[in-house]
Amino acid sequence: MAEHFRGELPRLLRILAAPAGFLPLGPALTLAVRRFAHRKPAVFDRLGEYGKCSFLIEPSDLDFSFLMVPDGVRAEVKCMRGRTSQPADVTVRAPLLVLLGLLDGTLDGDAMFFNRAISVSGRTDALVALRNAIEDAELTPADFVGATGGLGKLVDRSVIGGLGLARRFTGSPISGEPS
Amino acid sequence: MSLELVCPAGTPSALRAAVEAGAHSVYCGFRDETNARNFPGLNFSPDEMIEGVRFAHAHGAKVLVAINTFAKAGAMDAWKAALANAEKAGADAVILADLAVLDHAATHHPNLRLHLSVQAAAATPEAIAFYADTFGVKRVVMPRVLSVEEIAKLNAAIDVETEAFVFGGLCPMTEGRCSLSSYATGKSPNLTGVCSPPEHVAYSEDKNGTATRLNGFTIDRFGAGEQAGYPTLCKGRFMAGGKTSYLFEDPVSLNAASLIAAFAKAGITALKIEGRQRGKGYVTEVVRTFRAAVDAIDAGSTEVEVGRLLAGLVEGGRQTSGAYKKAWR
Ligand code: SF4
Repeated sequence: MAEHFRGELPRLLRILAAPAGFLPLGPALTLAVRRFAHRKPAVFDRLGEYGKCSFLIEPSDLDFSFLMVPDGVRAEVKCMRGRTSQPADVTVRAPLLVLLGLLDGTLDGDAMFFNRAISVSGRTDALVALRNAIEDAELTPADFVGATGGLGKLVDRSVIGGLGLARRFTGSPISGEPS
Repeated sequence: MSLELVCPAGTPSALRAAVEAGAHSVYCGFRDETNARNFPGLNFSPDEMIEGVRFAHAHGAKVLVAINTFAKAGAMDAWKAALANAEKAGADAVILADLAVLDHAATHHPNLRLHLSVQAAAATPEAIAFYADTFGVKRVVMPRVLSVEEIAKLNAAIDVETEAFVFGGLCPMTEGRCSLSSYATGKSPNLTGVCSPPEHVAYSEDKNGTATRLNGFTIDRFGAGEQAGYPTLCKGRFMAGGKTSYLFEDPVSLNAASLIAAFAKAGITALKIEGRQRGKGYVTEVVRTFRAAVDAIDAGSTEVEVGRLLAGLVEGGRQTSGAYKKAWR
């Protein structure tokens, strides 16, 4: 049986999540990032030249990974099944809930690194720039689906509530507490 | 008078988080080599600074702008522009270290309140009197090599305010005088605003764990599950005399929360939290915790327990009261 690390999705959820690898997640995420770049160009100014770097993001508890080039309105996200040998400027690996926590600012990147909840390799400067840009972006789940107004608030409330529950359920770090 | 809590903000959203979590003051810098946290993607554009000051003032908080690196000889334009932009934004003070920048500020921006950065390493009544008399400096940030008793003695001999670090990453060397990063990478906090610039840092994983390299030098190796620290040379592990150890300092973080009452008694005006490179999660949690601690001391408590609450946020997972208690040296 696969080893289960603290904060990783339990086996049953991993199996349930597996079909997501077949969905057209890449084009949907590409669209979401480009839409976001239209709405908040300052986030991508903060990223500067690093927007052209490629970031391979590997949820350690799922069998697919994302390759992202966050180049503003020209951004690209590819979703790939299995572990890939695709070259990237930066590789980040962590349980899915930790990655989502870093994305919405619930979790502190340095604390996750000190506690070894994430592992990184490649161009550290590009990773630092991306993390700072994300930190300032104040991303919410609604940003990913392009929902605004009342619908946006509903999406945010449900997803954030759901993630909080999932973190407690899996024992994922909730703030920076040591793992 | 209660202690002023001075909190870090590397981005506009961290500034808002700090203010909302109870910061009395926030310190931040521009997005260039004029401030000592010049990391990619961090810091403020001049317009963001204007907006940040507006937000802080609307919530009753102050903004202190760090322009605390040493200007390059014959190329001071960036530092001059930073001073002008800080004044335009309505900053409540600027935090400076370099004599030329202090002189320019005192001469051309007489309305700006001047604070002396920890990078200036002014630790004697004579040095502090020089900065106060020559440039009108109103507050000095204490180097983290002094004990509380030494700060109390110093406060009795000077008539400017003092600010002391209470929490966060720790430089074990005297600030402004450490050349380890320049030696290994050609870049340093003093001149370029970064210690161990990220473009020189690389992590690689193998079956023995993670190796940290700085410009090709392996400076540490962490086993799986072992707590990690920042990739600075002062916290690296090296082999000397046949054994491998942290030669300069363990990867520990400063936490002087247990000394807040002693700081107040020693005549310190403000307590500073380190961490402009940290995210909103850290800022919110640390500021909220310390604001509660400062308020508790104000209300008459003698000691507060902050260590346990913040244990997971600190470098290496361990905390120290640093030089404030003599035993550290
Ligand atoms: S090497 Fe260590 S002591 Fe020197 S400037 Fe960097 S963090 Fe500070």
